[in-house]
Amino acid sequence: MNAPETTDKKPSPRVLVFACRWCALIGADAAGRKKTELPASFRVIPVECASMVEPDSVLRALASGADGVAVMGCHLGGCRFNDANHVAVKRMEALGDLLDTVGIGRRRLLLSFGTAHEGHEFAEVLGNFLRELGPLPELTRWRKTLLNLPAFR
Amino acid sequence: MLELIHSIREKSRELLAAGRVDGVLCLARDRFDVVQPRLILRAEKTGSIETSPKWNLAKLALRTLRRAGPSFRLAVACRGCDERALLELAKRNQFDPTRITLLGYTCSREQAESCLCDRPYPEKPAAGEKIEGVDPFADPRVSALLTGDEGERTARWTGLLGRCIKCYGCRNACPICVCTPCKLEDDLWVERAVVPTELIPYHLIRAFHLSDTCVACGACQDACPVGIPLLALQLVMRRRLRERYGYEAGLEADRKSPLLMDFDHASPAGFELPAWTVSSEAPHER
Repeated sequence: MNAPETTDKKPSPRVLVFACRWCALIGADAAGRKKTELPASFRVIPVECASMVEPDSVLRALASGADGVAVMGCHLGGCRFNDANHVAVKRMEALGDLLDTVGIGRRRLLLSFGTAHEGHEFAEVLGNFLRELGPLPELTRWRKTLLNLPAFR
Repeated sequence: MLELIHSIREKSRELLAAGRVDGVLCLARDRFDVVQPRLILRAEKTGSIETSPKWNLAKLALRTLRRAGPSFRLAVACRGCDERALLELAKRNQFDPTRITLLGYTCSREQAESCLCDRPYPEKPAAGEKIEGVDPFADPRVSALLTGDEGERTARWTGLLGRCIKCYGCRNACPICVCTPCKLEDDLWVERAVVPTELIPYHLIRAFHLSDTCVACGACQDACPVGIPLLALQLVMRRRLRERYGYEAGLEADRKSPLLMDFDHASPAGFELPAWTVSSEAPHER
């Protein structure tokens, strides 16, 4: 009789993926159809275009419990809405500056661009991101809402 | 300093007397010896105009224009930061810029140092001489906040932002925060009636919304009752915009923000992806 195996492994990091429905979402589907192995700790929200993802949503996700956020769109130059995904790059880049300044770090934000038939790329990029997030500390200090008394100096 | 005040008073008097404007928005001393913003409508009252303390008039100018009729023309006697804030508001179609005449005056060395202002003058000053600005990043009050690794920064900023009593002073004092409805009052983004607030949504959403609009006037941090150095967050994003796109808020009236507005001219060629982006530029047949 063996005791059931226990693991003290940290649960895998939770990631919210905003995927543009013209490319990245189809890529995610393709990764699923190929039965690519991926941690099950990410959730995908389809959006019309990566540029529709406001940086506010990324912040809201981080505050609500996500360890990382991925914004995925079409290849630069392959956007259905002319150059809209360039806007996504610029905005998220600026958001990364803010995250770096306050110490959350832009490592928690993944921006990636691929096409619909690159399911393997989706799996690879997201898998790498999940592995990178693994050792990062949780954002508990940022999420704590109790009055932080020692901060009153 | 006195010359500067006299010159502004004289120019306001001329504008009102000639009927070129219907009112002058400015700081003025009233009969109780209190200096506060006032709307001066008659030329003989212009003798009470003052130029200090620092008081951002951009939002008041906007409110004045909206309350007065559409034919009301306003002169604003203000500092360089107000001029830039008004320009940003005009860019965002908040008012018709032809209705405003600016009477900008320059700031002194001490004023620039206390505001950490790198541009303590309006583009076309009506009074005063332009002087060299202060590099805010050279000041220990700012540079000390921007050091350290992620752990140190997290400890520092959660401590600073954790003092927040959610008075909305930073938003209300900001000359550019004019959205209605405001996301900070929407339960979806920031829970209302909960104090202390969640740190990420309240503070970082506010800071990010101003990333390409902030004119670094410092009104947010002056208004903060618990002394959070909010300007430091904005200064970093302003510097990055200047480095990447050569863009600075409040300077060019006909240039849209490269960050949020420019859907038309983002050429794929010559645009460099930031190093942290994982681009899937892999060969398709793999």
